[in-house]
Amino acid sequence: MRPEQLTRALMAPPVGYVDEACRTQLRGRLSRELAPLVGRLPHRQRLVVNLADLRRARERPDSLSRQQEPFTWKPVFARRSLGLAVVDACAGGRFRSPAEAVGPVASEAVEEWERSGWRTFHWEPWFAGLDRGARALVLSEAVTWATSLWASFDWAAFEVPPRLGGGDDQWVCPDAGAVILKGRSELRVPVGTTGPEGPGAEGAGQEGAVHDRSGADGAVPVALASVASGRPSDAWAAELAYPALVAALRSPSRPVPARVAGLWPDAGIHLVVDIDGEVLASAVDRVVATVSAMVEARRLPQPA
Amino acid sequence: MKFVRRPLRASHDWHPLAGEALLERLRVTGRPRLQSDPDLQGRLRGSLESGLNQVGDAGPDAPATGSGAGTPPPPSSSAVVVVTKDRLTGVLACEAHHVAGEFGDRPPTPAMACGALVDVLFRQLIAVGSIDDPMADGMAALGVDDRQQDLVSWIVGLPSAEREALRAEVERQADGLRRHWPALEPAWLPRTQESMRVGLAHGAVELSARVDLAIGRPAEDEASVALVEIKAGARRVEHRADLHFYALVEALRSPAPPFVVATYYTRTGELDVDPVTEELLVGAVRRTIVGTRSLWNLAHGAVPRRTPNSLCGRCTLLPECEPGQARVERSEAAWARGPEDGR
Repeated sequence: MRPEQLTRALMAPPVGYVDEACRTQLRGRLSRELAPLVGRLPHRQRLVVNLADLRRARERPDSLSRQQEPFTWKPVFARRSLGLAVVDACAGGRFRSPAEAVGPVASEAVEEWERSGWRTFHWEPWFAGLDRGARALVLSEAVTWATSLWASFDWAAFEVPPRLGGGDDQWVCPDAGAVILKGRSELRVPVGTTGPEGPGAEGAGQEGAVHDRSGADGAVPVALASVASGRPSDAWAAELAYPALVAALRSPSRPVPARVAGLWPDAGIHLVVDIDGEVLASAVDRVVATVSAMVEARRLPQPA
Repeated sequence: MKFVRRPLRASHDWHPLAGEALLERLRVTGRPRLQSDPDLQGRLRGSLESGLNQVGDAGPDAPATGSGAGTPPPPSSSAVVVVTKDRLTGVLACEAHHVAGEFGDRPPTPAMACGALVDVLFRQLIAVGSIDDPMADGMAALGVDDRQQDLVSWIVGLPSAEREALRAEVERQADGLRRHWPALEPAWLPRTQESMRVGLAHGAVELSARVDLAIGRPAEDEASVALVEIKAGARRVEHRADLHFYALVEALRSPAPPFVVATYYTRTGELDVDPVTEELLVGAVRRTIVGTRSLWNLAHGAVPRRTPNSLCGRCTLLPECEPGQARVERSEAAWARGPEDGR
């Protein structure tokens, strides 16, 4: 999909519809189905589930039982947040391209941390302590990552500037408090507040029917974009629906995201899923399967 | 430790391209750039899919299955067969040599260390526009890459004379990079180590490449991307086929193929440039089908075939490989007779 096509597809008026009853049903189903699974977890353990876990549970379930190494910063960990800041700086018109932006953006982040002690990206002290060659590798990784995102969209065509990065959406399952769902997207942008009727709504199926999709506080629905490495699996729609599911659960007063675009730059593939009750239900299926696999992995004896 | 240097060029007047001339050589190929053509992309993919249609089937030319003597067990049949330029070249040269080299970590060598250091220094030059102390910069970059920890330890543990030889070669090549490579305009979207992947045969096969440098906004109507591979070692004939594989993978994943693929040799400053044409891509498809079928068969238990070739002298299987030994003997005899009789 070319940049202008992808941008248009992302910003098109919503076509799916998720009403409050559907949202309540999804929430209830997760609570019911996760609670017994979590009951099998070793004492006081918590499970944080993200999109990468959904993919691992399906494609490489054996990797769930491997012990996590203690976190240390690496170029591949810093490239997303630095890359997003780089694209944000380009979209804002400060720089013409990621290669031009990356040095100044990284330097500004470090200067800000040195001045105020505030770590916007968390990697600032690590980056500042690196030797010149290692810093260059971090910048290179970020440029390559950012360029794939920058080249995917027609940035001038966005009516409202997209928000790049930002905090993860998070939802703690009320009846299975040990499970925390985290949803992350690289880009979110408001989309039209009117569109064809959703199923079950008054006037559904009538030509030209429109429906107000704004939330209780007048918030308009958003479209999300999610960047992944590799190639999409054949379950890509349910995976892309996951960040929309977490956003829908987290904030009942806000409209459910209208759609999610998935970008697989390695494969040159861009796919878009319109969010409706059915695709959210498939995301719930994946969450339940993933939590089940993660619980089983935690119950396996760990190597000394 | 010695870095073997062959004569650079027959002509003493030859100088490596530098600055604008280097860019011009990449930009102006003398051939029209291919247009975005869904039909061409469809034909390339269709040829690959039909060529791989029967991968794994025991056709008349399929090798016997079983466990080859002295070869490790094949990977699980459920695994995706990943096709990279190295695997393709290796399996087409000799299946047995390829299988022997697939398992276990290869011990570091001076050439491997030099290549890894020059790779990260090239990335540095593209990203920040300068290289300060090549050895220090290169080691710092490798030091934050988990996959290079064994190599870093090996370099640190080298006797001082060998480390100095490595340093001298890395500095020489870094100096060449500094003098010859111009700053790339940021608007051309230069990016290093770009990953490219294409799935085939319903996901059972994945073509995978990681290109050292891509320049140019991703293609829309006309081929607009140049792919450059950096080599710190000697020029080899198979490098050309590596480039064609890159061109094919990019042509399959993007609306248009790259307009040019090139190898830059940091040891000499040579630049091999191939304009991308339909013929080049069709040739790459044929080679990829043949190699992928071999990789597929090996992954599914085929006995690796032994094909004597120029790598036999360095192959770990040589002591037990009669065709390889015969090849090495013939080669040594030809050298002993002198260049007049050599074949």
